[in-house]
Amino acid sequence: MSRQVHLNVNILNAGVFGGSWRFPDTDPLASFTLGHYVDIARKAEAAAFDAVFLADGPGVREDLRYRPFNNLEPTVVLTAIAAATSRIGLIGTLSSTFNDPYDVARRLATLDVISGGRAGWNVVTTAGADVAANFGLDDEVEHAARYRRAAEFVQVVRALWNSWEPGAFVGDVERHVFADADRIHAAEHRGEHLSVAGPLNVPRSPQGEPVVVQAGASSDGRALAAAVGEVIFTAAQTIPDAREYYVDVKSRAALLGRDPEQVVVLPGLSTVIGATEAEARERRKLLAELVPPEYALNRLAGQLGVGREDLDLDRELPWRLLPEPDASGGSQTFYKVATDLARRERLTVRQLLFRLGGGAGHRIATGTPEQVADTILEWVDAGVADGFNLMPDVLPEGFDAFVDHVVPELRRRGRFRTGYTATTLRGHLGLDEPQWQRPGARAEAVAR
Amino acid sequence: MSTASGSAAGSGSRTLHFLVNVGGAGYHPAAWREPGAEPAGFVDPAHFVRVARVAERGLFDAVLLPDIPVQQPGIARGPAATLEPTLVSTVIAAGTERIGVIPTASTSLNHPYNLARRILSLDHASGGRAGWNAVTTFHPGAARNFGVEDLPERPERYRRAAEFVRVTTALWDSWEEGALLGDQEGARFADAAKVHAPGHRGEFFAVRGPLNVVRSPQGRPVLVQAGASGPGVAFAAAHAEVVYGSQLGLPGALRFTAELRRAAGEAGRDPSAIRVVPGLVPVVGSTEEEARRRFDALEARRHPDDEPLRAFAAWLGIPVEDIDPDAPLRPDQLRLPAGRIGPEGFFASLAAHAAESGLPVRELLAQFLGGHRVVAGTPEQIADHIETWWRRGAVDGFTIVPPVLHHDLPAFVEHVVPVLQKRGLYRTEYPGLTLRANLGLQIPPNTFAPAGPDGTRPLEAS
Repeated sequence: MSRQVHLNVNILNAGVFGGSWRFPDTDPLASFTLGHYVDIARKAEAAAFDAVFLADGPGVREDLRYRPFNNLEPTVVLTAIAAATSRIGLIGTLSSTFNDPYDVARRLATLDVISGGRAGWNVVTTAGADVAANFGLDDEVEHAARYRRAAEFVQVVRALWNSWEPGAFVGDVERHVFADADRIHAAEHRGEHLSVAGPLNVPRSPQGEPVVVQAGASSDGRALAAAVGEVIFTAAQTIPDAREYYVDVKSRAALLGRDPEQVVVLPGLSTVIGATEAEARERRKLLAELVPPEYALNRLAGQLGVGREDLDLDRELPWRLLPEPDASGGSQTFYKVATDLARRERLTVRQLLFRLGGGAGHRIATGTPEQVADTILEWVDAGVADGFNLMPDVLPEGFDAFVDHVVPELRRRGRFRTGYTATTLRGHLGLDEPQWQRPGARAEAVAR
Repeated sequence: MSTASGSAAGSGSRTLHFLVNVGGAGYHPAAWREPGAEPAGFVDPAHFVRVARVAERGLFDAVLLPDIPVQQPGIARGPAATLEPTLVSTVIAAGTERIGVIPTASTSLNHPYNLARRILSLDHASGGRAGWNAVTTFHPGAARNFGVEDLPERPERYRRAAEFVRVTTALWDSWEEGALLGDQEGARFADAAKVHAPGHRGEFFAVRGPLNVVRSPQGRPVLVQAGASGPGVAFAAAHAEVVYGSQLGLPGALRFTAELRRAAGEAGRDPSAIRVVPGLVPVVGSTEEEARRRFDALEARRHPDDEPLRAFAAWLGIPVEDIDPDAPLRPDQLRLPAGRIGPEGFFASLAAHAAESGLPVRELLAQFLGGHRVVAGTPEQIADHIETWWRRGAVDGFTIVPPVLHHDLPAFVEHVVPVLQKRGLYRTEYPGLTLRANLGLQIPPNTFAPAGPDGTRPLEAS
């Protein structure tokens, strides 16, 4: 049987592009209301998607003058979605730099228990001085240190998720035993960045543990993804790029003793769908025109670590002025995608902006439903993706188009489920339930 | 009676307010063993929604979710704090329409930006029905879950709490009315001149802002506070809009409320804009005998290691052997033992009530459950107790603390609420759509836009 495609929808406020909120017949402020997220999640569940995905950072990370930004806190939104759905997975982004592991472990475990085993955690390290300033720091934490903390953070969170052994909840009215305290274990973690006693006060979930999701293009990011990522979210523009990443991250995982089949790689894919190819191109062109120009230039300058005045719309990027990716101040993933694309095709700034579309630097599939299905399957069949994290051009309308037209096409070709066969996120993704592992060498049962 | 509480009692629009304290299967340690209880309810979202709907049927202002971020050893014998309360509140909000949701979260163990954001997100998700029960953390085990080895003393904890609340309030005000434009033609998404970064730098926190969540449909989430220690009262007087806590006797409750309102007035606040709702454990029977028997039967179902006198001694922090059940507590037993870990205000309330009532311990125990006042009797007797305290101005209402949630909350709603309604003391429908409306509290003006209080909603929350 041909490989089945995994699909998440990334509910990026009004849509992935800088001008999505200005698209005709779009409610520009919809992403500031809970209903926007719940409605899209219901639609995704009706189409048997693996999960909804919420990107996030604890700050205003976009230029608020020109476009919407992540606002409602993801664990709250996902819990509301959990209450309104029964099967779809719920993946939220939480920073390992600006949270405490006990709190993160507890909220995700709570979401996992409440949803019956549908939670996932996208671990991010959160770049940027603006966000750091919301947490008492004058500048961003240096890249390598963020990733060292992230690795330790994930280790602690997973240890906390193993606090309650299977069977620790007893609930025996007659014997007056509510929980077996000998089966609830402390973490007693003391590391370079974190010190956490435990145990976590939440029982194990129906899927064992929430799914750990990671995205990282840098060397540190790949190492972390290979070590802990069960789903890996990537940004690749071409099949060769995607192959390089896919092979690299899966072989790194194998070297660490993990089963590469238990690592699901989902590149981001922005979709622009039309009834005809010409219509899709028209739509794509309109979306590019709708990006507020100042926004696009400011953002590109910020991401690349150059001044706004250094960018000339009709010339190539000022190559000599570009700092090293580490010193750019922005996301290294975005930096690499943008500079590779511009260099490879010798694009002017104007052309580059059009290609990026004020989006997140992910690949854009523009075409008919058949063409979008083709490109999805081309990548999966090339063995460079296990599915995609979809970033529709306009929400909810662009996602409706995908569900109504691309999903049936994928099903006609026998490549996407017609209904759920599992009840948990792990089940949807084909990930095994992790064995319970006693947390920490110095773990102790809860004292009576 | 003080003039402050007297003037509050004299207000024509004054009405009773009820919250309900929801934890596990109920406040009584044996609640989960009662017939009809579901032991697994503590991890079942449907359990919390069911309870909230009963309270909503009773027109309660809000559900209050207590919390402490630690695995309590008591889990061996009954439910303890488990699911994270902002998320349980979200589930409850999704399953109800009018009742408020008040999660508890610590100012000692959170980052202001994250917590401000989560509570305000809950407020939007609920259409303006969120509050925040701000607590300081006294539990060393909880602190160690957050890498804190030595918790600061009470005064420092409250200084941090006050600063935390100031930062949070400023973050909640980051977005003025009308800051979101959504101007598609003009390509202007938001008006940066109406978005304010608090730029806070204080003793404990530096937070630039602005918050990435726009202002609440009710202005701001409602600030709830429970501490009744000296620093706790000062904190409540300066910031709290709802004050929860323990009041075992009427004289103590009158003193507390008068002192709170006086201090609030001195802090420049309207003393009548604080709702005082101490805990009340109602045990309803068709006769007083029946209610008493029910409470006794419940007490008899405690674990032998946790039988009432033993539990009481442990709560006080004194050896059980030193207590004579047939005599009142001695004065030396009513002084806070050094090293006792627990809320000071609860202890002070018990000490005052024990001294003033002169009750022997056995009778004191019949009025006491884990720090809160038990009233066992007929619906009329319970209504009498509520009415007396309320008419005297000692309280604005009560936080109902059902010993067994699935039994005692419906009993209160079905039998006591109608008596209070018949007496004209309690509403027969919800007065508005938000928690502030339930509580009869004004929408606070935005501190960054002092031109005037603005009742309009920035956004229609769905």
